[in-house]
Amino acid sequence: MSAPDPARSEERLATSPALGGLYARAGLAAARDAVTAPVRRVLGGTGDEPADLPVRTLRLDDLRPDPAHLTAYQHLLGEPAADALPAGYLHVLAFPLTTALLVRPDFPLPALGMVHLSNRVELREPVRLGDRLDIRAWAQDLRPHPTGTQVDLVAEVRRHGAASGSPAAWHGVSTYLARGVRLGDQAGDTARPARERFEAPLPTGRWALDAGVGRRYAAVSGDANPIHLHPLSARALGFPRAIAHGMYTAARALADVGARRGDTYAWDVDFAAPVLLPSTPVVRVAPADDGWDVTAWDARRGRLHLRTRVRPLG
Amino acid sequence: MAPTTSGPHGPETPTTRRAVVVGGNRIPFARAGGAYARVSNLDMLTAALDGLVARFGLQDEVLGEVVAGAVLKHSRDFNMTREAVLGSPLSARTPAYDLQQACATGLEAVVSVANKIRLGQVESGVAGGVDSASDVPIAVSEGLRRTLLTLARAKTVPQRLKAAAALRPGDLKPATPRTDEPRTGLSMGEHQALTTAQWGITREAQDEIALTSHQRLAAAYDAGFFDDLVTPYRGLVRDQNLRADTSLEKLAKLKPAFGTRLDTPATMTAGNSTPLTDGASTVLLASDDWAQAHGLTPLAAVVDAETAAVDFVHGEDGLLMAPVFAVPRLLARQGLTLEDLDYVEIHEAFASTVLTTLAAWEDKEFCVTRLGLDDALGTVDRDRLNVHGSSLAAGHPFAATGGRIVATVATALHRRRAELLAAGEDRPVRALVSVCAAGGLGVAAILEAA
Repeated sequence: MSAPDPARSEERLATSPALGGLYARAGLAAARDAVTAPVRRVLGGTGDEPADLPVRTLRLDDLRPDPAHLTAYQHLLGEPAADALPAGYLHVLAFPLTTALLVRPDFPLPALGMVHLSNRVELREPVRLGDRLDIRAWAQDLRPHPTGTQVDLVAEVRRHGAASGSPAAWHGVSTYLARGVRLGDQAGDTARPARERFEAPLPTGRWALDAGVGRRYAAVSGDANPIHLHPLSARALGFPRAIAHGMYTAARALADVGARRGDTYAWDVDFAAPVLLPSTPVVRVAPADDGWDVTAWDARRGRLHLRTRVRPLG
Repeated sequence: MAPTTSGPHGPETPTTRRAVVVGGNRIPFARAGGAYARVSNLDMLTAALDGLVARFGLQDEVLGEVVAGAVLKHSRDFNMTREAVLGSPLSARTPAYDLQQACATGLEAVVSVANKIRLGQVESGVAGGVDSASDVPIAVSEGLRRTLLTLARAKTVPQRLKAAAALRPGDLKPATPRTDEPRTGLSMGEHQALTTAQWGITREAQDEIALTSHQRLAAAYDAGFFDDLVTPYRGLVRDQNLRADTSLEKLAKLKPAFGTRLDTPATMTAGNSTPLTDGASTVLLASDDWAQAHGLTPLAAVVDAETAAVDFVHGEDGLLMAPVFAVPRLLARQGLTLEDLDYVEIHEAFASTVLTTLAAWEDKEFCVTRLGLDDALGTVDRDRLNVHGSSLAAGHPFAATGGRIVATVATALHRRRAELLAAGEDRPVRALVSVCAAGGLGVAAILEAA
């Protein structure tokens, strides 16, 4: 992935944005959309919404990870409490910035209800407790999807003081889908691709996910999206029960690979059906190419939850 | 492989070969409730193992075995050492088992791995130990436990009601682990206070041991001695208990903590007793062949070891006096005397443990009547005793202490031998390691520069 266009405006944040406030803002925006969207639909277009992404990079400098917070994350995900930061923990550190981007009024997609389709992370240099970090985040590649519009939220972590153009120690791209949202002169519904038929392999393990998993990951990650917290709040947003955070399941998959992933690695996840809580997805960890694949699925329904690829970086 | 010979009892009777210490790695020791308050035994052992793997390039390596333990252990950690291996970059095909011998766990683990190497059963192994005084298991009371077990067995509603009715409010009080001796009800400090009184050890002598421990550990850190032995963890770079600036005046101000109800003066304080500590240590052991094949330099050979136990329950000997018995037997078997040792490591459970041990070996009557010697065992030169500091300064995470001492003294032996060779003196350089433990146990071992 390329570094952001230097022409982008950089906005430096003094502290990490508090996510509770961000979700309140997203909720307000959602309420506004709920009122205006039908009107706009009747008017036959979405042309009043900005079709472009704001040219802005959010930046937070000199972040110092807290040992107690790191330990809580590691214990929740089944990682040993090592001083090396798991790639998923760096995602948690960057998450407030990417979320702050998409709750701004000029962001063209509604923040609440966006679906996390996939996540690509490269941990290119080991990052350790005690390192001082600079984080930058921006949005890019607003593009049509058969069922709506997708966008990439990109974040990078560098050692404090490293030049913005220098290679990032950690680089993450989260691809989100806003279902049913059409922007600008985008064509109408394109054909929905046929769902991949999932052939369940032999499992190697199982995750016992109780109803509180979403609340516990929310407490550690700050991602208190109501769809993860309680059956009632999830139902209000269209899910039958609370669903596990995608990044919780992806980080569990990374933890299942364990220390043999090495100090630097690529960690790619494609999310399929959400994990409704409580549930006990079965998992297969298997060597693949020069790394490991981790697949998690619902054995009873034969539905795929996620595919993860972990590959050591040389 | 081990050399083998044909013997009358079978085609192959293994003879022994040398087992060497190749190196060690530990995390700095933290005071209880300090830097490691939120991490578990498994976390710390894995961190120490991770550092060892990094130091010696053991990623994806299949070792002969990893042996470690913890004294205060959660029941969920029944396979702790194997779990640490699975959480480490070692090959998942490295076997492991847990071992527990109270404070001697770490040293006994070293002896166990060394013995398998000497017999040719494994080529390499890691010995280690870990303990947390912060993240201790808390159990339910015996009454609640019995009730829950009865409830689980009850099949009918009346049976369940009857079982539940047996519960008393006091049963809801949780049971925290205690380090008291189960048979005497006395804490380790109270036991040692009895031994201190018996041998007439003074407060001043104890404070001097403590001061020296802090000064020597600080000097060793300053000299970079631990650069090859300690990996920082959770923000700690040195042992949290280390007080480089302590003094006899400061130590003299502390109030006695143990022996306050005896007729003799109470002399044991928080300054001359080890504090509750969190930490983990590991030692890499191997055959000479394995070390050579991996391009690693042997530091010291594990020559021999001896375990002893004393009857403290019936008042025959002090709780922590077992090493007093183990060491003379070990020296006799090796044909050595105290003068043949360049380093003597006596674990500082309390300053007075070191002093009562030394006093017993200097006491002719005790040595003749109790140890069966012809004369006093002798005097340990203080310049050879705990020369890089010991548990009073570093702290004492029970099962981690043996690994700390062995890795430290093996490094010292290797350097001493190199210095002597450079000066044209080619002679064996040996160390004695002695660790006392709960239950009246004691383990001693002899190492020799490789």
